[in-house]
Amino acid sequence: MTADGLVAALLADEGGMKWPARVPYRLDSVLAALPRPARAAVHTAVAALETYAVVRTGRRLAALGPDEREDVLRSLAARPRLAPLLDLLKVPVLLAAGTERMPVAPATATTPVDPPLDCTPAEEWPARSTADVIVVGSGAGGAMAARTFALAGLNVVVLEEGRHHSTASFGRRAPLDRFAELYRDGGATVAVGRPPILLPVGRAVGGTTVVNSGTCYRTPDHVLARWSSAFGFGPADRFGPFLDEAERTLRVAPQPLDVLGNNGLLTLAGAERLGWRAAPLRRNAPGCKGSCQCVVGCPTGAKQSVQLSVLPDACAAGARIVTGARVRRILLDHDVPGPPRAAGVRVRRADGSELEILSPLVVTAAGTLQTPPLLRRSGLGGHPRLGRNLSVHPATSVAGRFAEPVTAWRGVLQSVGVEELHARGILVEATASPPGMSSFVLPGLGRELRRELEGADHLATLGAMIADRPSGQVRGRERTLVRYDLDPRDGDRLMTAVRAMGRLLFAAGAEEVLTGVPRAPRARSLDAFDELLTSVTARDLHVSAFHPTGTVAAGADPQRAPADPEGRLRGVHGVLVADGSVLPGCPEVNPQLSIMAAALAISDAWLEGARHGR
Amino acid sequence: MRGTVFTETMLGTVRLDGEPGERRIRLDLRAAADRVLLPHRTTRARLTGRARIAGHADDRCVEGELEVSPIAGRRIRYRLTFTAGGRRLTLDGWKSVTPRRPLASMTVLPFTVYEGGTRVGEGVLRFPVATGLAPFLLSFRFPRRENPAEHLAPRWNGVPGRTEVWYTTLTDPASGTGIWLHHELTAPADGSEPFAHGWAAAFPREGEVRHARFGPVPWTRPTDGFAAEDVTCCAGQLTGTAGDFSWNLTERPQGPPLFTFPRWSWRRPVLPAAQMLPADRATYEGEVSYGGATLTLRGAPGASARIYGHGNAHRWTWLHADLGDGDVLEIVAAVSTRPALRRLPPLVFLRLRRGGRTWPRRPERSAIGRLGLGRFKAAFGLPAWTVTGRTALRRIRVEVNQPAERTLTLEYRDPDGARAVCRNSESADARIVLERWWGHWRPEASWVLDGTAHAESGDR
Repeated sequence: MTADGLVAALLADEGGMKWPARVPYRLDSVLAALPRPARAAVHTAVAALETYAVVRTGRRLAALGPDEREDVLRSLAARPRLAPLLDLLKVPVLLAAGTERMPVAPATATTPVDPPLDCTPAEEWPARSTADVIVVGSGAGGAMAARTFALAGLNVVVLEEGRHHSTASFGRRAPLDRFAELYRDGGATVAVGRPPILLPVGRAVGGTTVVNSGTCYRTPDHVLARWSSAFGFGPADRFGPFLDEAERTLRVAPQPLDVLGNNGLLTLAGAERLGWRAAPLRRNAPGCKGSCQCVVGCPTGAKQSVQLSVLPDACAAGARIVTGARVRRILLDHDVPGPPRAAGVRVRRADGSELEILSPLVVTAAGTLQTPPLLRRSGLGGHPRLGRNLSVHPATSVAGRFAEPVTAWRGVLQSVGVEELHARGILVEATASPPGMSSFVLPGLGRELRRELEGADHLATLGAMIADRPSGQVRGRERTLVRYDLDPRDGDRLMTAVRAMGRLLFAAGAEEVLTGVPRAPRARSLDAFDELLTSVTARDLHVSAFHPTGTVAAGADPQRAPADPEGRLRGVHGVLVADGSVLPGCPEVNPQLSIMAAALAISDAWLEGARHGR
Repeated sequence: MRGTVFTETMLGTVRLDGEPGERRIRLDLRAAADRVLLPHRTTRARLTGRARIAGHADDRCVEGELEVSPIAGRRIRYRLTFTAGGRRLTLDGWKSVTPRRPLASMTVLPFTVYEGGTRVGEGVLRFPVATGLAPFLLSFRFPRRENPAEHLAPRWNGVPGRTEVWYTTLTDPASGTGIWLHHELTAPADGSEPFAHGWAAAFPREGEVRHARFGPVPWTRPTDGFAAEDVTCCAGQLTGTAGDFSWNLTERPQGPPLFTFPRWSWRRPVLPAAQMLPADRATYEGEVSYGGATLTLRGAPGASARIYGHGNAHRWTWLHADLGDGDVLEIVAAVSTRPALRRLPPLVFLRLRRGGRTWPRRPERSAIGRLGLGRFKAAFGLPAWTVTGRTALRRIRVEVNQPAERTLTLEYRDPDGARAVCRNSESADARIVLERWWGHWRPEASWVLDGTAHAESGDR
C-alpha cells in the first residue's frame, strides 16, 4: 500500500466504516495507471507528508490516532503555499474514495450487442503486410477517414494503440477501472505551464469519442468563416453537408428531458430565472438511460461513439483494425521525384516487437497531441509551425450545494448547454461526474473533507469551457510534452465563467457555491461569491482542458500551415492529416462533429483528386 | 547502360495456416536489374529461381520482383510467386534496413504468404552470412543493357569508300528453309553517289537455292535503318520485294547485343571492318514469298547483324549458330585485304554466349590470344571449314559444313570496285564441341546443327 496513513488522515478514517480501509488498495491501482513522472510526484508528496508527520509527532501517519492526524493536517492547511501539493494528493485519493464509498453494481440489464468490428490484436497481425490506406488512430477523424476510404473500395487498415472495449465490458467493471484503461497516461496527461492544466485524452478503439460526453455541436458559422478567410482552410466553405453526414451517422438529437437528471434540470431552472439561453444539449446518445458514465465508456451502448457508429460501417466495407499497435514512424521513399513519398508505417507491438505495413497513403489521425511527435519521429517535423498553434478549451467547474439531494450522478453526464455567454467565448455546460468520480476537488482536509464527501449527493456541478487563443505547443518525438500558458485574456474569461456559473447556481437555489479554490472555498450568497472571487485569479483555479486542436493546422499559407488546405501534409506525398490537429483554430464548441466533418472532407478531397489523377 | 545480376540464397521457416508446425523453407534466387544497383537509390529487379518448402513444395520456376532500396527506402522487398502443393502462392516480405542493426536488418526477411489476396501463412527467412556471403558477393555481375534498335541506325557519315550492311538470316522451323536478307549501302571510293542494294535468298531443304537482287538505287539517308525504294529494314520490321521475292517480317529481339568484334572497334571504326549483332537472337513472324511459294513464319529463329567498314575481307568465314535454350555461337574469321596484314593467319572472333555469359570474355582473346599466343585458329575450306581454340580451362572445336547444293555463290563488290566471291549457306551443318579442363579435357557441351546453321565463306 502506498499511503494508508495518508488516506486515513485525508478521509478522517476513525474505523467506523469499512470502505475507507479499501481506499489505499484502490489508490494503488489508480497510481499504477499513471505515467511514471506523475506516479513519482505522488510518491514524493506522500513521502514528504510522512516525513513531516514523523518530524512533528515522531510517528508516521498510520501510527497516529484520528485526532493526531487531524492536528497534522490542520497544521499543513495553515500554510497556503502547500495547498497545490495537498490538492495533488487529494485528487487520486478522492477518486479512490469515491469508488469505494459508492461501488457501482455491475449492469444486470442485458447490454446490447455491439455492431461487429474486425479487430485484430497487433500480436496476431503479420510482421509484413500491405494496404491501400493506413489510418493511424481510430478516433473521430480516423474512423471517418477509414470509412470513407473503405467505402471507396480501398483496402484500409486502421492502427490503434489502445484496445477494443465492448459495451458489455463497460457494464462489468467499475468506472475507475475503466478510467485507467481508456485514457492515455491513466487520464493524467498534463500540459506544463502556468497553471499546469490536466488534458485528458482517450486511448481505445474509438479514441476520445469513447470517453467524451457525447455532446455534438455543429461548428459555428463564425468559426467556419474565420477558418476560411483567415486561414484558407479549404473544406470550411463546404462544411455543411459534411456536418450533416456526421450528425446522421451519430444519430445526433437534443437530449430528452426524461433522463436529464437533477443537475441538468437545476441548470435549466437557474437559466430560466436569469433569462439566459439554455437548452438540453444535442447529443449522439439516442435512448440514453442517464447512467452518467459517458467519460468512462457508455455501459448501455446508447452513446454512438465511433466504434459503435462509424467503424462498424468501415469494417463492413472491408476495413480492418489492428489494436495494441503504436505507430513508431511513417516509412518514406526518398528516391522519388520531388518530395519524399509515404510508403507505409512501422508499428510497435506491446511486447516490443515490430511490424510493418506498406501503403502509398497514410492518414494520421493519432490525435492533436500525438500526431506531431509521430511526424517528427518520421522525419516529417521540419515545418516550423508543426506542434504549435495548440488550442484547447480550458475549463473549470463550480459546484453548488442544494438543500435537497441532487444526486448528480443519476442522469445525463453533460446535459444542458448555457449559451448566454457563448458570443464572448464562454460555454457553460451542466456536467456531472460519474458515480464515485468527482471531477470537482472538494474543499478541506480530514474531517471537513469527509463531511464534504458524505454530502456530495447534494452538489450540482457546472463546467465552463472557453474559446482560447492558441497558446500551446506540442513538443517531443518519443513522448508528447505539452506546453500551454494560459493567455491573460483567457484567464479573464475563465474568471467570468466562474462568476457566471456561481450566479446560475444561486439562481437555481443553491445554498452555497464551492469554487474548488483551497483558499477561497465557498460562498453562501452571490455578493459573497463575487467578493470571494476578487481574491482569486485564474491561476488559482483547477483548470482542466479538453478538445486540443490545431497542431498540424491546414491552411493556404505554406509558412503558417504545416498542411495544405485539403489536409495534405506539406513536404511529403501521401500523408493526410485527419484529426483535431488539422483544424486551423479553436472550434469554440465540443469538436467531435467538426473533426469528423473535416476528416470526411479531407478524405473526399483525396479520393476526388485520385479520380482525376492528381 | 549496365544492369545488375546476382544470386542469393535464403533459409528459414514458414508456418502455413492450418498446419500445426513450421516448415523449413529455402529460396535460391537470381535477381536481374536493368540498371546498376546503387545503394542510395531504389533498384528494381526481376527475380527467378527456386523455392523449396520441406515436404510441401519444390518449384524451380519462381518468378517475382525485388526492390532494393537500403538507404532511400530502408527496405529490400521480395515478391515471389511459386507453386506449392498445386496452389499458386505469393510470398511478400521485406528486410527493413536500419543503421542501428545493419547486419540483422539486412539479413532477416519476415514475409507473409498469400493465396490470391488471402493470407495463408507467414515466416522468416535469413541470409546465411557465414556460408552465403562469399557466393553472394562473387555472383554480382553488371552486364550491359542495350536497346537493339539503337544499333540499327546507319553509321555511314558521308566518307567515300565505305560499306554498311544490315543482314538477316533465319530458319523456318516448319520447313527448315533458310532465309537470307542482305541490305547494303555502298559509298564508292571514287566519291560517286552512294547507292543501296541487296538481295534475298532462300535455302530450302529440298530443291535449289534461289535468290534475287534489288537495287542499286540512290541512298536516301534514312535515320533509323536501311531503306531502298520498297525495301526497308528498321527496328522490328523487314519488308521488301526483289524479283519474285517479297517479304514482310516482324522481328522480335530475344537477347542483348553481341559484339563479335571488340565493342571499341564498332564504336570507333579503326579496323577495316567490324561486325555485331544488335540482338544475339531474334524471332521472326510474317511471310516470305518466292517462286510462287509462300513461307508463313511463326517464331522463326535467326538474327540480324550489322557490318560497317571499308569493304570485304581478303578471305573470311562466318557462322551464326542458334544452339537452343538461349545459347548462341557467332564466329567471324577473316584475313585483311591490307598488304601487310594479308600475310597473317586469319583473325578469329568467336563469341559463345551460353547461360547469359559470353566466352571468351573479351573478343580480342580469340583473335590475338595473349600477345599472339593461344589465339584461336581457323582452317578455311569448302565445303567444310573449322575453327578451334582454347583458353585456360576451356576449348572449343567448330566444324562447319556447307554442302554445295545448299550453298549460294554470289559476287561481292567492295567500295573500291574490287570483287570478291561469297559462298553462303543458311542451311549449313555444324558440329560444336566444348570441353573443360578438369585434370584432363572433359566434355562440357556439344551441339550438332543439321541444316540450321548460318554460314558463309568468302575469298577473292
